[in-house]
Amino acid sequence: MKSSNFIPTVLLGAAVVFSGASQARTVIQNKGSDTLVNVAQAWAEEYQKVDSDVAVAVSGGGSGTGIAAMINGTVDLANASRKMKDSEIKQAKDRGQNPVEHVVGYDALAVFLHPDNPAGTVSLEQLKSIYGRKGKAEKWSDLGIKVPGCDSDKIIVVSRQNNSGTYAYFQEAVLGKKGKYRSGTLDMHGSKDVVDLVEKTPCAIGYSGLAYATDHVKMACIEKEAGQACVNPSVATAVDRSYPIARPLFMYTNGEPQGAIKDYLDWIMSDTGQCIIVNKGYAPAKTVSCE
Amino acid sequence: MFSTTQLNERNQRTQGLFRLLFLMMTWLLILPVLIIVSTLIYKGGSIISADFLFTVPTDGMTAGGIFPALFGTVWLVGVALLASVPIGIAAAIYLSEYAPDNWLTRVINLAIINLAGVPSIVHALFGVGAFVIFFKFGTSILAASLTLAIMTLPVVIVASRESLQAVPHAFREACWNMGATRWQTIRRVVLPNAVSGILTGVILEVSRTTGETAPIMFTGAAFYLPFLPESVFDQTMALSLHLFVVSTQVPNVPEALPYGVALVLIAMVLIMNSISIAFRMYLRGKKKW
Repeated sequence: MKSSNFIPTVLLGAAVVFSGASQARTVIQNKGSDTLVNVAQAWAEEYQKVDSDVAVAVSGGGSGTGIAAMINGTVDLANASRKMKDSEIKQAKDRGQNPVEHVVGYDALAVFLHPDNPAGTVSLEQLKSIYGRKGKAEKWSDLGIKVPGCDSDKIIVVSRQNNSGTYAYFQEAVLGKKGKYRSGTLDMHGSKDVVDLVEKTPCAIGYSGLAYATDHVKMACIEKEAGQACVNPSVATAVDRSYPIARPLFMYTNGEPQGAIKDYLDWIMSDTGQCIIVNKGYAPAKTVSCE
Repeated sequence: MFSTTQLNERNQRTQGLFRLLFLMMTWLLILPVLIIVSTLIYKGGSIISADFLFTVPTDGMTAGGIFPALFGTVWLVGVALLASVPIGIAAAIYLSEYAPDNWLTRVINLAIINLAGVPSIVHALFGVGAFVIFFKFGTSILAASLTLAIMTLPVVIVASRESLQAVPHAFREACWNMGATRWQTIRRVVLPNAVSGILTGVILEVSRTTGETAPIMFTGAAFYLPFLPESVFDQTMALSLHLFVVSTQVPNVPEALPYGVALVLIAMVLIMNSISIAFRMYLRGKKKW
């Protein structure tokens, strides 16, 4: 009879769906930093050609997301554009995880301006007065700059959401260890969003990884001390550490990497892997020559 | 014959004015849909091809197709339905046909209404805590689909209950008088007459599930995955998250790509809704009252 087949059919369907769990493929869970997510994706895509039995599943969400997942033990590789804090490492150890740090590259944080903005160089001190809580610069004219198209003269300060590693590193490098951001910044939820906004807003200033630069936006040359020669953000200046706002990029493993995870990390640190990070606009963790 | 008085004429004018006003408001509703769909077709239509739909993304997701995301969305929706439809319909049958009108039933009804009002990001975090961590499903299709299922359960329950209650009570009484049990009545008379409404609820759920991003972001959807999911314990890419990713996370994406993804997503939802409307019209034509 027709009706009596209904429940067995549903159960059979469910059984078919649930039975596929056995697999030869190894999956590496890779999660975290939005700065690293595009490189992580490129590595995962390229690694398919190296070892098709290993699949790397990549998710973003921010360094905080990756580190939280490492603490909860739900990832194999956590991406972070900042170091794990001591308190976070302790939390992880309390839960039986043992985070081990690997530097996989470096990132120069570029300061982005609208192409119409006449300012070419910005000193760290000026950045501090724009972004810092006690900063004096609220208008472009406070810095002696007249920006065409910015009628209000007010500086629109573009920053990142507070679980971003980029946010944390910029704070440390520009505002100092105990420095705080001013209130009223526009906090964007992605490196690319910052660049997109600055591109369209003459009054704006923002910061993001160098890799997110486009042709429609201007990057400021950074003076470490006022009056010193400024340094342009680039892969080369990040490698030789002359650019003042460059930071290491990390991948964390739970314990010393083993098996497929070790192979993958070794491949990331190989010339092939490091050339991929260079092509994405970041600096490599070691000297490599790429085409 | 009555001659029209001045008062009469004025009332006629006012009536005409309000009719026009309401008509314009109704047209205003259609406007956003038209604008959205035509913009998407204009900007993203050129990228849609069989290749776009059925190949994997390449070059750091700036080229290639969207197949893993499309495939993943079908998985997510399918497993979510498998979980929520049986539970939802069973609950609706109980509430409509068996439940006595007491405080417990009222609490259950209140819970369903509240469940419908919970923001999707709260469902997402619940999903992480319950399915990913507590039940140890990991970030997987199973965890994501169960989160979606819980989120859409109220839609199924409410739609099913309404359509069960729309079946005239006289049908049931006639059946009971013939000596049929409650279950026989439900199985043979009530359910067949309510199926169109139930299906509407289910398809509404499908279209909502297709578009949700927050609940799957932390529970099972990946930014990038170099393989197609093979079981419910795999992660998956999904169209809605893919749209978020290519429009906000990946630099140097060709402009047509995000519009193309959005077009596919909205087309899926519109097709679902059209099927639901057509099906409902067909079933309503067969109704006996």
